[in-house]
Amino acid sequence: MRSRHRFAGLLLLLTVLTGVGCRDVGLAAGAQAQQAAAEQVVALPNRDGSLKFGVLGDFGTGAKAQYELAEQMVKVHDRFKYDFVILVGDNLYGSDRPQDFKNKFEIPYKGLLDRGVKFYASLGNHDAREQRYYKLFNMDGKLYYTFNPSPDVRFFALESTYPVPEQIKWIEDELKSSSSNWKIPYFHHPLYSSGDRHGSDIRLREVLEPLFVKYNVSVVFTGHDHFYERVKPQQGITYFVTGSGGQLRKGNIDRGSGITAKGFDTDQAFLVAEIAGDEMYFNAVSRSGAIIDSGMITRRK
Amino acid sequence: MRSAPHAVIVVTLAVAFGASACSRAEEPKAPPATAESPATAPPDERVVGPLSPDDAKALATMNDRLKEYLDLHVRLERTLPALPKEATPEQIDRNQRALGKLVQEARRNAKLGDIFTPEARPVIVRLLATIFGGPEGAQLKASIMDENPIDVKLAVNGRYPDAVPISTIPPQVLQTLPQLTEDLEYRFIGDRLILLDTHAHIIVDYIEDALPK
Repeated sequence: MRSRHRFAGLLLLLTVLTGVGCRDVGLAAGAQAQQAAAEQVVALPNRDGSLKFGVLGDFGTGAKAQYELAEQMVKVHDRFKYDFVILVGDNLYGSDRPQDFKNKFEIPYKGLLDRGVKFYASLGNHDAREQRYYKLFNMDGKLYYTFNPSPDVRFFALESTYPVPEQIKWIEDELKSSSSNWKIPYFHHPLYSSGDRHGSDIRLREVLEPLFVKYNVSVVFTGHDHFYERVKPQQGITYFVTGSGGQLRKGNIDRGSGITAKGFDTDQAFLVAEIAGDEMYFNAVSRSGAIIDSGMITRRK
Repeated sequence: MRSAPHAVIVVTLAVAFGASACSRAEEPKAPPATAESPATAPPDERVVGPLSPDDAKALATMNDRLKEYLDLHVRLERTLPALPKEATPEQIDRNQRALGKLVQEARRNAKLGDIFTPEARPVIVRLLATIFGGPEGAQLKASIMDENPIDVKLAVNGRYPDAVPISTIPPQVLQTLPQLTEDLEYRFIGDRLILLDTHAHIIVDYIEDALPK
């Protein structure tokens, strides 16, 4: 028993000493000690000039948990200055009258908006199509679009509830013509998920996965299932489910799915990531500030 | 164009909007074929079939009705201030409700079957049945029924219920249904196929029992 505590202490010390810059992103001491006992956190390098961003999904409830996670996002931003957040859909649950945009988005994320953090939305099945015109979602009136925040990285926001053939052709053309080293699609419905409630969207996977494989996609971000999951690489691609930005479906990860690299379904969470050269570092952070997953992905070439 | 019975035909309704094939003065024409079957078509290609000449004619008539609706939509929308690409929530809400009101007033006598005509309805249902009757039918239906409430009261020309999530439609289904412009979308509420005006948030028409049991 005593040796186990000593081991945990040693890991904690290692984490703090070896991490640079963002080594303790939003981590509460107690949670950190518990976590250190289980596994070592891969620190975000927090380098000057690297691309730093967040990922959030299924958040627009207007409830206390969403606000608390938003506060945690600000705390993380104080130490790790991510420039923007990609939204993987279900941005506003229920009605979307003007006051809903305020209560479910503008007020909870005011801290980030005031710091100049931009949000790039994709739409989920709970989102009215007119959200594409909402200026703070930066969709330029489009249901699917692309942007490149740095020369090496291009994001592709898709509309997965209505994947018409024209959109499939568009994403293939865009992936094909992009010369960015990192091509990062994000959308609502997961191609891979261990969710008991929804799970993998097999039909969408049949259409999109061959394109992602063919055009050297390395990472895909999705939501819809209300938990955090990092899926074991599928044909070389790492898929994330980040659907607990406000909603949460406790205990919904099917641990027997065989595809989970890391799952977390006991509290709300979001993800921050940093791309430096050929590597993408990531930390998933819970509402309490615990880093519930971390790692580094090397891009496919 | 294949004119033989049961030819596989690609229906390009949106392309046909404004085209001479849609002129009400002419006999409705079926669009040309480009693929043998949905199973062999690439995912960025639209395919429907098999269609008899009568089926194709029914869909072409539906296309005419869609064009009429779209013309109305565009005409009414032009009377409103254009929604900027970067709008406030107030602008979005005002614009959507104003357009919805104009559409509802202009179509105050709208009824079930105005767009999905009695002739087109069984064709659409049969197209859906060919997709859902296949080996992947159960999974396709499960995708659509995910978070899809069954007991929702609908009205033609009524506002799409705010609290009801929009159904997911698998790419294979969209590949097979006649194409629409961006202003209109197919959605399902329960097993009813909805024609949704996305700008006005209005249910333009719907088909009961569109999905096979």
